[in-house]
Amino acid sequence: MRLSRRGVLRAGLAGTAATALGGLTTGCAVPTGSTGRNMVLWYWSGGLGDSVVKSAAARYEDSVRLKAVQIGGYYRSKLITTMAGNANIPDIAGLKGEDMASYLPNSDQFVDLRTLGADRLKSRYLDWKWQQAVAPDGSLIGFPIDVGPVVHYYQPAVFERAGLASEPADVSRELNTWEKFFAAGEQLRKRVPGTRILTDVNSVFEMSIGQGTTRFVDEDRTFIGDGPRVRACWDRAVEAKRRGIVSNIVTGTPDSIAATEKGTLPSQLNASWAAGDLKLAYPRTKGRWRVAACPGGPSNVGGSFLAITRACREPERAFEIITWMLDADNQARGFTEAGLFPSTPASYRAKRLRQPDPFFGGQITMDVFGPAAQQIPVAFNSPYDVALGQPIRDEIKNVGVLGKDPKTAWEDAMKSCRRIAKHLGVNL
Amino acid sequence: MAVVERTAPPAARQVPAGPRKGWRAHWHLYAAISPFYLLFLAFGLIPVGFSLYLSFHRWDGLGAMEWAGLTQYQYLLSDSDFWQSIGTTLVIWALATFPMIFLAMVTAVLLNSAVRFKNAYRFAYFLPSVTSVVAVAIVFGSIFSTDFGMVNALLQAVGLDQVAWLNTPWGIKIAIATLMTWQWTGYNAIIFLAGLQTVPGDLYEAARIDGAGPVQTFFRVTLPLLRPTLLFVLVVSTVTGLQSFSEPQVLLQTTANESTFAGGPDRAGQTMVLYFFQQTFDNNDFGYGAAVAWGIFLVVVLFSIINWRLVQRRGEQ
Amino acid sequence: MASIKGSGRRGAALHASLIIGVLLSAFPFYWAVVMSTHTSSEIFSYPPKLLPGSHFLQNVRNLFDTIDFFGSMGNSLLVATVVTVLVLFFDSLAAFVFAKFPFPGRRVLFGLLMLIFMVPAQLAAIPQFVIMSKIGWIGSMTALIVPAAANAFGIFWMRQYMRSAIHDELLDAARLDGARFLRQYWHVALPVVRPGLAFLGIFTFMGQWNDYAWPLIALTNPDNVTLQVALSQLNGTRGTTDYGMVMTGALLALIPLLIVFAVGARQIIGDLAKGAVRG
Repeated sequence: MRLSRRGVLRAGLAGTAATALGGLTTGCAVPTGSTGRNMVLWYWSGGLGDSVVKSAAARYEDSVRLKAVQIGGYYRSKLITTMAGNANIPDIAGLKGEDMASYLPNSDQFVDLRTLGADRLKSRYLDWKWQQAVAPDGSLIGFPIDVGPVVHYYQPAVFERAGLASEPADVSRELNTWEKFFAAGEQLRKRVPGTRILTDVNSVFEMSIGQGTTRFVDEDRTFIGDGPRVRACWDRAVEAKRRGIVSNIVTGTPDSIAATEKGTLPSQLNASWAAGDLKLAYPRTKGRWRVAACPGGPSNVGGSFLAITRACREPERAFEIITWMLDADNQARGFTEAGLFPSTPASYRAKRLRQPDPFFGGQITMDVFGPAAQQIPVAFNSPYDVALGQPIRDEIKNVGVLGKDPKTAWEDAMKSCRRIAKHLGVNL
Repeated sequence: MAVVERTAPPAARQVPAGPRKGWRAHWHLYAAISPFYLLFLAFGLIPVGFSLYLSFHRWDGLGAMEWAGLTQYQYLLSDSDFWQSIGTTLVIWALATFPMIFLAMVTAVLLNSAVRFKNAYRFAYFLPSVTSVVAVAIVFGSIFSTDFGMVNALLQAVGLDQVAWLNTPWGIKIAIATLMTWQWTGYNAIIFLAGLQTVPGDLYEAARIDGAGPVQTFFRVTLPLLRPTLLFVLVVSTVTGLQSFSEPQVLLQTTANESTFAGGPDRAGQTMVLYFFQQTFDNNDFGYGAAVAWGIFLVVVLFSIINWRLVQRRGEQ
Repeated sequence: MASIKGSGRRGAALHASLIIGVLLSAFPFYWAVVMSTHTSSEIFSYPPKLLPGSHFLQNVRNLFDTIDFFGSMGNSLLVATVVTVLVLFFDSLAAFVFAKFPFPGRRVLFGLLMLIFMVPAQLAAIPQFVIMSKIGWIGSMTALIVPAAANAFGIFWMRQYMRSAIHDELLDAARLDGARFLRQYWHVALPVVRPGLAFLGIFTFMGQWNDYAWPLIALTNPDNVTLQVALSQLNGTRGTTDYGMVMTGALLALIPLLIVFAVGARQIIGDLAKGAVRG
């Protein structure tokens, strides 16, 4: 259940976020990292497979002492603090996908992996994923860990009662566009009273944005959130509300748990890692779920990278370690251990990833996840995307939850965006 | 009443070592208060000065800083989202603080008079302030949920309509304030309890002989003597309450795609500090974040002074 | 004592209202206990589990396997105890001065103290991190203890408390006996303000015990952290977190706090038979 993830955890720990500001102008100081034989690796709980980390430490123990540290709390604030403070910087650091846009302009903080021969491994990784770690100056600052292809989780029994397709292949085919998905939502609501195909409108908006190659700000630092693409995503979300296919339920409350278990919220659009959430939150629904392709095409949520920091004294050795940890075999292990969906297409053929999953009624989910992961569009992520997407996200939520007039909401969102763009020096 | 005289500031009464003698005669007093100030000089001054410096710059947290002059502050004044967060914070603060102080005082007086099971009671009232935040989040999310929540069940039992607490701007504020009241009432009750111990027992005896009932005794004897404690509780609640952020965050869990700093529909739960986090960490706008932090500081100082004055003035009457 | 006595009908009403308060206060805590006895998936099932399950020992075992629970608890005990002792001494000494002695600059210095109290805590970890790494304290408990050794909250509290608890006649009498400043503090003031000190001690200990933001930044060696930092490492991402274990850890971490409270709270209501502290 979503409640668990970033919400509660980051919240309780928001104290950490309290670590904010500052950074002395220690321009000339030499960054200090680990000492002796130590090579320090920072990641977060569940960010790498445990056994992969252990075998890496054992494998390289003749040359270095690999100290893998799980950092709790708000990961990025601790990493930025130590980097800005120029001391105790890890040699290898995990970087979360959603934070990449803010690391990319500061590529000088990391070793350019191209100088260590990364290019010769490029063909083994998903191209769009690889491109996400390429900085504006062309350097490569991160090496791909996992990806989060978005799929359509649904309960076939409920779909069947509504007279909809229920086999994964049929659902993928018959609900392949948003229009068909909305029509299915209407049919579901009519035939099975009290049932909605989605919890709220925000997922429609988010997934639609993720299906394109542009977001809110382009490469020239120009605001494009007022352009036709974002507007189309907005209109689609508004339409979901207008056609009454979303619920009034708040995610994470007992209402949403009960509705999902009862089958009145039988469907969600979510990333591959949400399969773990479903299994954790709804164990009693085992066997009642299937996975199909996301309407409108694949997109990605989450994922992460490993980077070598400029404080690392042995970048070659570090590179050897991370490329081993992230090769196709070990990524397959990462998936079975921690639900990290591989960025190496070769892993998708691995036997252990093609086991029937009893939670999904014996479906081989890789048949859906694999193709989705390979078709994700390469999108440009601006460091200003979060700031300029937020007013639009806030307002679509107001439309969805509070029933605010969509026209007023859009105007308010654009007014906020213009104000923020001016403040951040983003062109209009 | 003798009581009131006793609480009068002692400064006026101890004239012998008055300011005439200059600060040298008081070196031991300065030495006694110095640790706090020395620690601040060593560990607090540079960070505070630095964040001031930062607020005149643009900075993304890792790259080079860029001079921005007063623009961050100019933007702060015109930033309607920041002003909205001030309003949100004050409303939540007021909704939480007044019931909390009232309940804490009542609890303290009751605890002070309960003779049996005192330890068990105190222990139970202490629990909310240390209960794990994950548990609190789950429990309160559940209590305020629409169809299965306890609050709505109670409303329906007395014939009222359901309220979608976590989906409406006022519902969100009330839910957050309730969570805060729940968590900190026991804590403040223990503060009041410590304050009640300074009331000499013979005053109660005297009041009883005068024929005062419990309520009269409370207002005539207890409350005047509790004023310094009340001032403390009010000022501390102001300083901490206006800087709250974890309660709304816990209550308004979001989906993976959303910021945890957004505060729910209509930003109804976005307090000042959440807004600061959003600017700093979601937007990587560390320079503006610093300006927001100084804005928060000014609001806190302003309201603390107002509250201080209110309690003091009533004390003079 | 107050005219309300814990007997008769009034006593029954008193206990009834206190018990309602107890139920309201303790319920989420009880739920936390229940959660710690279940597996992750049981925790989130609907309807919620209201009775303890059978998974507690397994959760404890998982917890001890995953983090160095007792080692980090030792660090937390060290930090919280040392800080509490230092805070009790420095804060009460400064508060005694502010509450009972006039001296040039008193108003200004106290105003400054209150201003510092109001500075948002979020203001700056990075500069503090730089300072600490320059003096070589990063990674050690010193980085946690020294900056916390005196605080505005405690000085403000003890000042308010002493203003009503220490009566001037008492100090005048001591002065006539020829007691110097430190003697007045130690022999006259401290014995009278024990309830106030007990409160400050409990909440300083609790604050340090639960402190998390700064320790997470300052303690860079994973083998040498405080309990809250160790527990934070259990919180994973996306479908992998073991909530039963997280709740068990949070709960076990409370035990020392509850002990400190039980001992400290005894001081807040002293033996009432002896009557309240007298001036």
